[in-house]
Amino acid sequence: MQAEFALTLFLAVCLVLMLGFPVALTLAGVSLVFAAIGTLAGGFDPSYLVALPARIFGTMSNETLVAVPLFILMGNILERARIAEDLLNQMAQLFGRRPGGLGISVVLVGALLAASTGIVGATVVTMGLLSLPTMLRAGYSQSIATGTICATGTLGQIIPPSIALVLLGDIISSAYQQAQLEMGVINTATVSVGDLFVGALVPGLILVACYVLWIAITGWVTPSKVPPIKTSAVSLGQVLKVLLPPLGLIGLVLGSILVGAATPTEASGVGAIGALLLAILRREMSWSRLLEIGESTLQVTSMIFLILIGASVFSLVFRGFGGEELVQEFFHSMSGGPAAALLLVMVVIFLLGFILDFIEITFVVVPIVGPILLAMGFDPVWLGIMIAVNLQTSFLTPPFGFALFYLRGVAPDHVSTSAMYRGVIPFVLLQLGLLLLMWYLPGIVSWLPSKLG
Amino acid sequence: MNKTLSTSTLSSRFLDGISNSLVPLISWFPLVMAALTVAVVGLRYGLGVGAITAQEGVMYLHSALFLLGASCALGVDGHVRVDIFYRRFSDRQKAWVNALGHTLFTLPLCLLIGITCWGYVAESWAIREVSPEPGGIPAVFLLKSLIPAMAGLLFLQALSEIIKSLSLLTSESSDAS
Repeated sequence: MQAEFALTLFLAVCLVLMLGFPVALTLAGVSLVFAAIGTLAGGFDPSYLVALPARIFGTMSNETLVAVPLFILMGNILERARIAEDLLNQMAQLFGRRPGGLGISVVLVGALLAASTGIVGATVVTMGLLSLPTMLRAGYSQSIATGTICATGTLGQIIPPSIALVLLGDIISSAYQQAQLEMGVINTATVSVGDLFVGALVPGLILVACYVLWIAITGWVTPSKVPPIKTSAVSLGQVLKVLLPPLGLIGLVLGSILVGAATPTEASGVGAIGALLLAILRREMSWSRLLEIGESTLQVTSMIFLILIGASVFSLVFRGFGGEELVQEFFHSMSGGPAAALLLVMVVIFLLGFILDFIEITFVVVPIVGPILLAMGFDPVWLGIMIAVNLQTSFLTPPFGFALFYLRGVAPDHVSTSAMYRGVIPFVLLQLGLLLLMWYLPGIVSWLPSKLG
Repeated sequence: MNKTLSTSTLSSRFLDGISNSLVPLISWFPLVMAALTVAVVGLRYGLGVGAITAQEGVMYLHSALFLLGASCALGVDGHVRVDIFYRRFSDRQKAWVNALGHTLFTLPLCLLIGITCWGYVAESWAIREVSPEPGGIPAVFLLKSLIPAMAGLLFLQALSEIIKSLSLLTSESSDAS
C-alpha cells in the first residue's frame, strides 16, 4: 500500500499543479495532506518530517546557493540599465544589412545575457518585448521571429553562468556523493557547479552556432522571410564601445570560474558590483531604480527558495512512503541496462517539462533519479548537461512548451499560434540533434573539463 | 454585511502591511551581499586575509532575504504558478483556487514548520549556539530563528490572501443574488 501512496502522491502533485496554485506551496501542501492520511491510516511515520528544519538550515548555510541571488541581481542590473537593449540595437545596426542579420543579433544578445536567467518565462518575456516588435516591423516572417525568440529565451539555461546550472550543479553534486556512498567508494570524488559550467560551455556554443547557421541559411535560401533592415551608418568602433563592457564583465565572471580562480559565489558577487559600475558609468542608475532592482531580486530569489523548501517537504514525504526504494527497485528490475534507464528518465523529464519549470524538476526529480543513474556509472557532468538540454528542448516543444506560452502572452494578437509552432520546430530539431550528438559523443561535454582539470 | 466586509478589508490590509513593511529593508540585502562578497574576495586575493565574519554575514543576509521574502513575494503574487488553465480562469475561479489552496496547503505548511522547528531552534537558543568556524558570527541561534519567523510571516500573509479571496467570493455572490 505504501508504494501505491508514493506513486499517487506524485500523480496528485502533478494534477493539483494544473489548478494554478503556486508551485512551491502545492508541492508542500499536497505532500502534507498525503502524510496526514498516511499517518492516520498507518503506513507513514510522521517522524520523517522532523528533519525539515535541518533541511531548511542546510539550504541557508549552503555557500553555492548564495550565488543565486547575486546572479539574479547582476542580471537585473544589466537589464534595467538598458544594457541588453543597447546591445541589441547596436548589433542589429552592424549585422542588420544582411538578410537574417537581425535574427542573428537576437540570438547572440540572448546568449550573452544568459547569465541573468534561470527562469524560462522571464527570459522569453524580456526577449519577446525587446525584439519581437522590431523583427515584425522589419518584415520577418512571424514563424521565424517567434521561433528565434523562444529558442533564444531557453538558451539562457545552458549557457553558463546560468542560475539553472548553479541549482542543478548543487543537486547533482549531492546525488553524486550519495551514489558513491551506496557503491561503497570511500574516497569520494566531487563535482562542483564550476565543473558543470565548464561542461556546458562547448554544447552551449554549438547550440548558438547552430541557431546562427540556421538563420543564415534561411536568409540565403529565402531572404524574403528574414529581410535586411535599414541601418544608419554605424562604425565598428561605436558597436565595440557598447559591446565590450558587458562582454568583458561576463567574460571576467565566467573566466574566473572556469580557470578555478574564484568560486561561482565569489564571481557572482564581483559580477553584480561590476554590472552596477557599468550602469553608473552609463548614467542609467538612480537610488529609486536600485531599490526596484533589489525588490525584483528579492521576489525572484524568494520564489526559487520557497520551491526548494516545498520540494524538501515533498521529498521527505515521498521517502517516508518508500518512494525512493520503489523507484530504485523499478530501475533495477528494468531490462535494457543503463542506457534504457537513462532513456526512460530523459523521456519522463521531457514530459514533466510540459508542466514544471527547470527549478522544480531539478529539486523534485533529479534527487530521486540522479543517485540511481550515477550509480550505474554515468558521468555526473555529462548527465547534468544532458538533463539541461533535454529540458530546454521540452520547453520549446509544441503544444505544451513553456516558452511558447510565455511568448504567446506578450506577442500581439495578429501573430498566430500556429506560426509560433511552425517557427520553433527547426530549433527543436537542432536541440534533439545536439542531444543525440552528446549521447554518442560524450566527449563534447567532457573534452573541455579534461583540458582545464 | 458592509461592516463585515470593511472589517475583512481592514484586517487583510493590516496583514499585508506586516510583510510589506519589510520590503524596503530586505530589498537592499542583495546589494549588500554583493558588496561584502567583493570585500571578501579583495581581502583574500589582495591581502591573503580570510574574512570569516564578512563571509558569514553574506550567508546571514542570504538566509534573511529568501526566508523573510517568501511572504513578501506571496503578497505580490510573485510565486510561480502553472498557469496553463489558471490564466483563463475567471476572478471567482481564481479566488476559489487561492482560498482553498492557502487553507489546505499554506497554513498547514506553516504550522508544520513552526511545530518541527520549535525544538530545533529552542535547543540552539539554550546553548546560544555560535558559528562552528573560529572567528565566525556567534549568533547561529538568531540565524535559525529566521525559520519560525518565515513560517509566521507566511502564515499571516496566507491569512490575508484567504480573506481577500473570500471577500471577493462573498461580494460577487451577494451582487448576483
